[in-house]
Amino acid sequence: MIYRETGHFVTNYLKDREIFPMTFDKVVALIGLLWLFLWVPTTSEYFLSAHVIPILAVGLATVGLNILTGLTGQLSLGTAGFMCVGAFGTYNLMLRVPDYLMSLPVALLMSGIFAGLVGVVFGLPAIRIKGFYLLVSTLAAQYFVWWFFNSYAWFLNYESSGVVAIAPKFYDYWGLGNFLGVDMQGYPARYLLALVVCIGLSYFAKNLLRSNTGRNFMSVRDRDIAASVMGISVPRAKLLAFFISCFYCGVAGGIYSFLYIGNVDLMIYEVDRSFTILFMLIIGGLGSISGSWLGAIFVYEFPIVFTWVGDFIFQGAFNTAVVENVSNMVYGVFIIALLIREPGGFAALWATTKQKLRMWPYPH
Amino acid sequence: MSDILKVENVTLQFGGVKAITDISFNVKEGEICAVIGPNGAGKSSMLNVINGVYLPQVGTVTYNGVTRRTINPRDAAIAGMARTFQNIALFQGMTVLENIMTGRNLFMKSTWLEQGLNIGRAREEERSNRLAVEKVIKFLQIESIRKTPVAKLPYGLQKRVELGRALVAEPKILLLDEPMAGMNLEEKADMSCFILEINKEQGITTVMIEHDMGVVMDISDHVVVLDYGKKIGDGSPTEVMANQDVIDAYLGVSH
Repeated sequence: MIYRETGHFVTNYLKDREIFPMTFDKVVALIGLLWLFLWVPTTSEYFLSAHVIPILAVGLATVGLNILTGLTGQLSLGTAGFMCVGAFGTYNLMLRVPDYLMSLPVALLMSGIFAGLVGVVFGLPAIRIKGFYLLVSTLAAQYFVWWFFNSYAWFLNYESSGVVAIAPKFYDYWGLGNFLGVDMQGYPARYLLALVVCIGLSYFAKNLLRSNTGRNFMSVRDRDIAASVMGISVPRAKLLAFFISCFYCGVAGGIYSFLYIGNVDLMIYEVDRSFTILFMLIIGGLGSISGSWLGAIFVYEFPIVFTWVGDFIFQGAFNTAVVENVSNMVYGVFIIALLIREPGGFAALWATTKQKLRMWPYPH
Repeated sequence: MSDILKVENVTLQFGGVKAITDISFNVKEGEICAVIGPNGAGKSSMLNVINGVYLPQVGTVTYNGVTRRTINPRDAAIAGMARTFQNIALFQGMTVLENIMTGRNLFMKSTWLEQGLNIGRAREEERSNRLAVEKVIKFLQIESIRKTPVAKLPYGLQKRVELGRALVAEPKILLLDEPMAGMNLEEKADMSCFILEINKEQGITTVMIEHDMGVVMDISDHVVVLDYGKKIGDGSPTEVMANQDVIDAYLGVSH
């Protein structure tokens, strides 16, 4: 370890619950955070658009699913459905509310609230059922949302192709771009908006996790009868978890459609996306916010890196079908291996590594 | 002293099985009441009826002057009942500190939005409730395992943490389901000290299920004996010890 924790004492209870209790960690986190903003000029539009922004979007959805599945223990396969509500909600808010009232960040948050409310409706069965049976209810949410937006063309502004491209005027932000002289539709600006939303919501999730709400969620996950005996309202905790989780998924859907692909398309919110996000969550680590981000980065980047390796070493021997199948196999192996060896996922591996380094070179 | 808890004619059935048949007893304010009886006598079911985990078919429970047939466990907690479980019901994925902090959830008035943003009341509540939790941690002498996940703790300490979680809710009445099961002599002595201190110093009425007769006779003020779901004895430890039905239930009868 390049620094020691010896000699670090906390002197009050608020300091004891800080996210980064060590000064060293604090400085590193701050530099990392600043770098996330300041590196933009050094990177390419391609890298931002193909790697970073989609990871921000799916990572945010993973954080959302983490609140529901990792913290509260309610399995869900409706993630993509709730993202879909967010994407369509953002689109319709931008389209139908007068421009001077609506702007993309506001629309993202409002459509997140819509998605949260839809989540609460489909979360109602959670009051009576849990585990795999609840999975069926959330799967129903996935298919219902899909069918609903497919059936009512109003939501797509009667676009016959089923895909609407997002108009450039939606990136206007009340004329902020003109005012600053920046192309707000360009990927750097999109990246910064997605980044601010993701950092803000991750911080919010982390705060929930270390406060009363998070403890209530975890107690419902671990022992719901004991939780109710402690005076925790279990139905309220479950529905609140559905609301917050689906809010995150909705915002993530808006980011995915508006800041990444640039159109609203039902096909990208199919059930396999729900599964992908569940893989990210399991590989990253249930119950850990940073784990969700690690999982999202791993699952999203693996096929890309694999293709790249194939291109450079084997002269493009891997076609897309090979890449996709190998990726699925690797995810499967990772999930099985992690479930057996380290159910806490990457986040727990990181914690173990830190512990080992602390003890190094002694094993115990 | 007045009765804080009155159980009247409670009958609890699971399908055709009568777990509790027409049981009545009173618990005075400030006493330690032990509920004893052989396995399957309905002791745990009785506690579950009192704080609303089970709903009895017949009978009422009067607590703090309010008579009800059924109560919701959450309302029972709000009314000042706290309990521990026979087969430890700690939250296994959380640390000792987090577990005991959940016991304070009824004191947390800030909304989830405030807590998510970590502003205003939320921060202050985390601090003030942590103070209350630390008092209990100190009382139970578990300072060194504060940040340990409860799943890693030995059984005796887990029981202690569970007592802490119930205690930190500042209850009026504490329901303990076999607080000393599976403990060695020293651990039992420690636990008895804690229970006595909670009862005598803090004045919390305690209803306790226990199998260790030595402990029961030593620390309880009042003993209720159940057998096959029926009450067979009720009174002070010395009275109960002399009761022929109780002796028969425990030692058997010659035919």
